[in-house]
Amino acid sequence: MTATKLLSRTLRSAATRVPRMARPSSSGPPPPEGHSTSVGQSPLLRTSRDSALKTPGISWLDHDESSGSGIVSGRETRKMNTYQAIRDAMNNALERDDTAVVFGEDVAFGGVFRCTMGLAEEFGNDRVFNTPLTEQGIAGFGIGLAAMGHTAIAEIQFSDYIFPAFDQIVNEAAKYRYRSGNQFNVGKLTIRSPTMSVGHGGLYHSQSPEGFFMGAAGLKIVIPRSPIQAKGLLLASINDPNPVIFLEPKILYRSAVEQVPIDAYTLPLSKAETLIKGSDLTVLTYGTPLYTAQSAISLLANPPPQLESLIPESLRKASIELIDLRTILPWDVETVVESVNRTRRLLILHEAGKIGGVGAEIASVVTERCFLRLEAPIRRVTGWDTPVPLVYEKFYIPDVIRMVDAMAETLTY
Amino acid sequence: MTSYGEEASVVGSAAALEPTDEVLGQYREMGVLVWRGFGLENIMAQCLGNELDASTKGRQMPVHFGSPEYHFHTISSPLATQIPQAAGVAYAIKRDPARRGQNCAVVYFGEGAASEGDFHAGLAMASVLGGPLILFCRNNGFAISTPASEQYSGDGIASRGPGYGVDTIRVDGNDALAVYTAMKEARRRAIEGNKAVLVEAMSYRVGHHSTSDDSFAYRAKQEVEDWKKIDNPHHRFRKYLESKGWWSPEEEDSVRASQKKEVLSAFQKAEKLPKPRLDNLFLDVYDKMPWNLIEQRDELKRLLNKYGSTWEPWKSERAKFQGAGKEFEG
Repeated sequence: MTATKLLSRTLRSAATRVPRMARPSSSGPPPPEGHSTSVGQSPLLRTSRDSALKTPGISWLDHDESSGSGIVSGRETRKMNTYQAIRDAMNNALERDDTAVVFGEDVAFGGVFRCTMGLAEEFGNDRVFNTPLTEQGIAGFGIGLAAMGHTAIAEIQFSDYIFPAFDQIVNEAAKYRYRSGNQFNVGKLTIRSPTMSVGHGGLYHSQSPEGFFMGAAGLKIVIPRSPIQAKGLLLASINDPNPVIFLEPKILYRSAVEQVPIDAYTLPLSKAETLIKGSDLTVLTYGTPLYTAQSAISLLANPPPQLESLIPESLRKASIELIDLRTILPWDVETVVESVNRTRRLLILHEAGKIGGVGAEIASVVTERCFLRLEAPIRRVTGWDTPVPLVYEKFYIPDVIRMVDAMAETLTY
Repeated sequence: MTSYGEEASVVGSAAALEPTDEVLGQYREMGVLVWRGFGLENIMAQCLGNELDASTKGRQMPVHFGSPEYHFHTISSPLATQIPQAAGVAYAIKRDPARRGQNCAVVYFGEGAASEGDFHAGLAMASVLGGPLILFCRNNGFAISTPASEQYSGDGIASRGPGYGVDTIRVDGNDALAVYTAMKEARRRAIEGNKAVLVEAMSYRVGHHSTSDDSFAYRAKQEVEDWKKIDNPHHRFRKYLESKGWWSPEEEDSVRASQKKEVLSAFQKAEKLPKPRLDNLFLDVYDKMPWNLIEQRDELKRLLNKYGSTWEPWKSERAKFQGAGKEFEG
């Protein structure tokens, strides 16, 4: 079924053409094939020094209390993509903390995604080192280090391979503090892993396993959307006194580029970020789909020629609020509930499958709290409940047109 | 869970360590804590889950001891998970200038647990990455009802050590002095070489697997009696001491009597103490309580206020806790 037929099922056709609104980015009319999830051009990215330094929630690690509230004028930024920003965060952690070590498969030469480039050369191979090929070994080793008060930054090469480590993470790391009567803890453990789809990953290089860990009380789960976010959230995760699983959307490693502050800073965990303020619908997501969502919101307001007839005027004026969840566990219920109580409609978007996904948990809680305010059922746009298939990926991963369709349905319920 | 029949393995190995060597156990190594002076009160507190249970605040089953003071990492039920963790502990010691060359890590596990993936993961990590680590396998012949002959086809656990490039020794686990001597040498090699060393102590599990087990369902009572007669770690050590004139039957009787009295007295005392405060149910999951647990604690509070003084089993159960759950009132 074509995209246009899909939309025509849910929308009335409109006769009038509407002049295009000016778009925030400078790149002119949309391309003939329509809006794509072009991360590189996304207005969500902070590509100037000024806007980068104004990232909300930044807490500088070298901040001197006596110098007043965070004066940024002297601070520098540098153009970095996501893997460079992640590397920068680890560089900082290794510099500041003698106990910090980085380890995992192939990290010594720089890592399969270059996140550890140059770190072994700079800090030595007793601090940045390869491990044998064993995720359960890596996780267990990290737990032992952290139990001794050392900062353990473990890498699992693809989050698709985190499952051998599931027992160590869920039965050991998550429960370490509770089961020891708070005499021991592994707060100094951070497990980083590339996650989500990349376009050609198939079953085993595309997964989003965060849902499996939501029930592991004691764990935190964090997923950044951009270089600035990745650096700040990773440093916050490393510093957090609880074990954190830090999932890095791999397709963003190269494609997302920002001006990233070169000083060390954290961004807050368990705080969602509202990226676009709105009043008619809340769109909640995390990681790569932020860009899909932003494109979909933009397309809804300013449809390309082949979709104009399917998107009525009223919908084009819809004011849509976009929220990046950032921390999946414990998640920021306050921000989400405040938003939905205002907009009365919620759409949750994630690449992971529908059953047992993060969206299921959030939808349940929001239903409890916003029941009388809701004007439409909470909608989830997700990967289908199949393994991630290779050649079918464009029909599997929720793309812009599915988002547009779902937003339209929810807005017109 | 008891260590009957394995006392020489556990205590003999503990005696060869420094009190600051880090120990990660499986669940049958209480003797290490006894050796180190953990004390009957602490043991009873954890086993009975009373208000003095610092090991687990009543959250875990009996024998899940833990103590930073005695360098004994808290026991967890899943088997062999402690093995790769011990590799990490050893690496931390290796990286710590204050402890490198002074301390080692020791990880205990049974021959059954050694079938777990974590055994191989831990050996791979430890052997490659280094760090002073002794891997001590208590081969006691059984994993609940599964005899060693149904656990592995190779030559026990010791034969795996050379496969990982690790110095290995097999020792008579019922000879306290042999275990002590082997452990002393293992410790020397582990610390001087900053490397992993494997010790397999051959022994026999005289007791049942646990209080939930009746081992005569799968082995002959006579077999157990024979072991107690023919290869008893207590007898062997006592005979040796007596042969040297360092011990006597009178001292034996006297110590047995006084220790039995102490144990029973500690038990009776511990039995009378309340369980920890009820709100410990919700604490320590994270360093700070997240919103979902705050709400859930409030939910239990609401329920206790509404039903807690009339509904059984809540009514009589709450009385067993320190403060009888009054922190939930109002």
